[in-house]
Amino acid sequence: MTHPAFYEFGSPVRVVSGLTALERIPGLLEDLGAARPLVITDKGVRAAGLVDVLTGALGNGLEPGGIADEVPPDSSVAAVREVAHRFREARCDGILALGGGSVLDTAKGVNILVSEGGDDLMAYSGAGALKRRLKPLIAIPTTAGTGSETTLVAVIKDAARQVKMTFVSHYLIPDAAVLDPRMTLTLPPHITAATAMDALTHAMEAYTCLAKNPQSDAAALAAVALIAEHLPRVMAAPGDAHARLALANAATLAGMAFSNSMCGMVHNLGHAVGAVCGVPHGTCMAIFLPYGLEYNLHKNGPLTAELLLPLAGPEVFARTPAYHRPFRVIEAVRQLNRHLRERTAGRHACSLQEVRDARGQAQIPRERLPEIVAAAMRDGTAIYNPEDLDREDVLMVLTQAWEGLPLDRTRVRQG
Amino acid sequence: MATRWEYRDHGPIREILRCAYLTPMLWFMGRAVAAAAAVDTDVRREFDTLPTPFTFALGVWPAGPAMVVAKGADGRVRYRGGRTAGVDIDLLMQIKHLETAFQMFTFRESTATAFARNRLLVQGDVANAVPVARVLDMTEVYLLPRVIARLAVKRIPRWKPWRTWIGRLRIYWRTLWGY
Ligand SMILES: [Fe+2]
Repeated sequence: MTHPAFYEFGSPVRVVSGLTALERIPGLLEDLGAARPLVITDKGVRAAGLVDVLTGALGNGLEPGGIADEVPPDSSVAAVREVAHRFREARCDGILALGGGSVLDTAKGVNILVSEGGDDLMAYSGAGALKRRLKPLIAIPTTAGTGSETTLVAVIKDAARQVKMTFVSHYLIPDAAVLDPRMTLTLPPHITAATAMDALTHAMEAYTCLAKNPQSDAAALAAVALIAEHLPRVMAAPGDAHARLALANAATLAGMAFSNSMCGMVHNLGHAVGAVCGVPHGTCMAIFLPYGLEYNLHKNGPLTAELLLPLAGPEVFARTPAYHRPFRVIEAVRQLNRHLRERTAGRHACSLQEVRDARGQAQIPRERLPEIVAAAMRDGTAIYNPEDLDREDVLMVLTQAWEGLPLDRTRVRQG
Repeated sequence: MATRWEYRDHGPIREILRCAYLTPMLWFMGRAVAAAAAVDTDVRREFDTLPTPFTFALGVWPAGPAMVVAKGADGRVRYRGGRTAGVDIDLLMQIKHLETAFQMFTFRESTATAFARNRLLVQGDVANAVPVARVLDMTEVYLLPRVIARLAVKRIPRWKPWRTWIGRLRIYWRTLWGY
């Protein structure tokens, strides 16, 4: 097992997982010294009835100070300001963030403003700008994927200046994550598939990229095993609460792994496609994951090989000769993608050209690949990727992923 | 015996020697980055993706040797000295320990590995650290002989030999004598 000469790992999130996890929230809040939380969520989550489930579970003992459901699909500075205003008006003292990635990002942004005071998020952007603890924040994820409930990052869009601000601080890590299958039971199949592939990518990149360490490895391997076993179950029986809970656990574990070990080129390319074409993050992850493993093969093949055990089980692992294991892992990920495409009647895309928006229009025209290349060159995850990526390399990978063809390994340039 | 573990107390002399090595090294590196920006189009292109004006610093935490490099309002890249105090810095990268800095600048640990091992404290917009890391890598490829550069970067770019050699001469000339 790889053991770096130096590393840091931290995951202070208290995890409460179970079929009645929501009922623990009043107790958690009490431990954190909060009694009047603001629920931050979005309209979709509310329409799915999840806010009612949450308030029902809180019981009579705890009355939220308010429910702010105005979080847009892409977290924005304006929304953060508005919700922070509501927090102050209602004299709240803690936050319950109920939703996916953008709700969590917004909640973290709100927490910065209500804890530090003022209205100027800009002053706290970047890494290391926050210097002290913020107000209690409990995350209740409604997708099993992003892992935001364990991460130290928030990304918030500033529409006026046309930039995405990134906030990085240990103080942004939520105090607790509440994983309850009631929150993910109604997730539609194609979103279940995409978000689970995001979690799988977090685990696999954390395990195979440069910043891996024994702590994150343990979490990553557990996440891969849980997803491999339970994702097909959930796709076959969406109402399977135990399998749903297993996926939620996998996402949290993968989040712990990658928020400490970072991720590599799969996220690099995915962020770029997301930024240029507005494609959901999980969709990009599913498409790029096999390519990332393939591209880095000459650097981290033995690590990729180790993933075969949690991914395919001990029989397949033992049956496969060592040199062939990394290729089996890549093939298994591609197979999983095809299985998910079948299960979602084609909505789960396996190549960039298959990605469609809500109206069925192709979302990634080939002509936009150069734009995506430019965006990829400015993404921080590049640093943690085992092999270097320049513009030509990115374009080569994007072209193959657009077509849905495996990488031509002879075209991957080695030092 | 090679395997025997032995505690060695490194006194202040070692620290002074490390600083005595790192200070001119960072001075050289800082000036070389400015030179590379003027000489090489790929380095220039990375600087173009950074905001204007933009100042970044690489140094040893908390107040060890450092290099400060700035892209001015005119777009020109200049070395701005070895002190971070009192300078308005957009991106501050600090190596957590003197010993680590020594490892990095004797090219026994690559910049990427140092990042991966969480050996640097980064303050500022993280997205800007990416072009900066690329600039540092390319500058090292110019400055160092191939065998050593291989230890410092993930992959040696496939430049034409004349590009490496003419670039290397021009960058060394500008670094040593200014322009
Ligand atoms: Fe992700």
